[in-house]
Amino acid sequence: MLKSVLRVVGGAVRVSSATASTARALPLSCPTLGAPSSATTRPFTRSLWMLNNNGTSSEYRPKLFSSKALNPSVSCGCGGLHTEGDKAFSNFLSDEIKEEKKIQKNKSLPKMSGGWELEMNGTEAKITRNVAGEKIIVTFNVNNSIPPNFEEEADQGQQKSAEEEPEIVSTPNFVVEVTKQATKHSLVFDCHFPEDEMSRGEGEEESDIFAIREVSFQPEGDSEWKETSYTLNTDSLDWALYDHLMDFLADRGVDNTFADELMELSTAVEHQEYIKFLEELQGFVKCN
Amino acid sequence: MGVVLRNLQKVVSLRRARLRKDIDTLRHILGVHKFDMGIICVDNRRIQQINNMYRKKNVPTDVLSFPFYEDLRPGKLPCPIHRDELNLGDIFLGVEFVMKQCQEDSLDLHGALTITMAHGICHLLGYRHETEEEWTEMLQREEYILSEYNRLTGSHLQPLMKRCTQDR
Repeated sequence: MLKSVLRVVGGAVRVSSATASTARALPLSCPTLGAPSSATTRPFTRSLWMLNNNGTSSEYRPKLFSSKALNPSVSCGCGGLHTEGDKAFSNFLSDEIKEEKKIQKNKSLPKMSGGWELEMNGTEAKITRNVAGEKIIVTFNVNNSIPPNFEEEADQGQQKSAEEEPEIVSTPNFVVEVTKQATKHSLVFDCHFPEDEMSRGEGEEESDIFAIREVSFQPEGDSEWKETSYTLNTDSLDWALYDHLMDFLADRGVDNTFADELMELSTAVEHQEYIKFLEELQGFVKCN
Repeated sequence: MGVVLRNLQKVVSLRRARLRKDIDTLRHILGVHKFDMGIICVDNRRIQQINNMYRKKNVPTDVLSFPFYEDLRPGKLPCPIHRDELNLGDIFLGVEFVMKQCQEDSLDLHGALTITMAHGICHLLGYRHETEEEWTEMLQREEYILSEYNRLTGSHLQPLMKRCTQDR
């Protein structure tokens, strides 16, 4: 039964330094680490993003469309430019939209189990549940919710067939707000999906599916974060207290199952918003 | 120093605080509270993968221990020189497997997890059950741990190995 793994156990938010066992070498392969999620995932098709280094910043940008920018070749009377580049861009977007729609699993968003009600406001989702006089509100934003190191996997994935391409999973930070009827403030948990959990097939460390980063009291219903409220950071927290906080959330329906479903929902919302953005972009480029 | 607790599964609803309290009680009974230890709760699929990878047994199981010290004499505590050697290793708890056993035998889940963790810690401390002698030695240790646990908590837990005796 007993084969020594000899690896670093800790590494999550609270426990990094205390548990590192470094005296021995790590084995080449460690068991199972990196929880495959059952969240809805989709194959990678965002070549546009990858060309531009995750879509956020890039030192190199192809200048395919710049040469004719000042020489519009088509005009529709809208007062905007219509270049050959715009046409190529629009055609490219058509293909991209078609591809994305092909891999979209459902037009409608997945439901969260446990009586949660969903409310969308652009890229922000708000899910609400009432439990015996308490109101639990969970909010997250799908913007910037795809882990950046997804890119590395995508590069590796280029060697593989389309079926084996890595899948995009949205893992947003999320905020849980618990409000009791009799109180004027809410207990607010700032939660996240630890990156190592999401980004590897195998690795050296294990993280919980989700983790609490900070806890504080905030005035009920205030959208602004009150910086003057004491904020409990879980980095150096007593582990027993952390476990009680996790149990507190679990009692209110925020557990691993919830986190998994939230990932699934966020992935679907993100994809939906991505397609919507591409369509809007195409409309803008085409000017219709 | 302490216990790193991870819950990587969603099949079984666990009480983390309870689990930590139980493991802390076991560590105190064994006098190993100075040592770090990892407890990783996994589902059947995951523990089956690990079991297959390290023991070539492609079936789920209740517990797999990965000792930091591989050649401990049973009952002898390690004598680490450096702080980062104050580590006993990791225990993968097959919580889904244990839960199903509990359902079959109408047992309390957290009680069964405590028994399973006691078994896992014994492995981290060098106990084995490959020969009859080893088996007896480990069973005696588990009996001691759980009798102390029962005395401290008012429980009535029985060693895991007692239940497994018929399987051998």
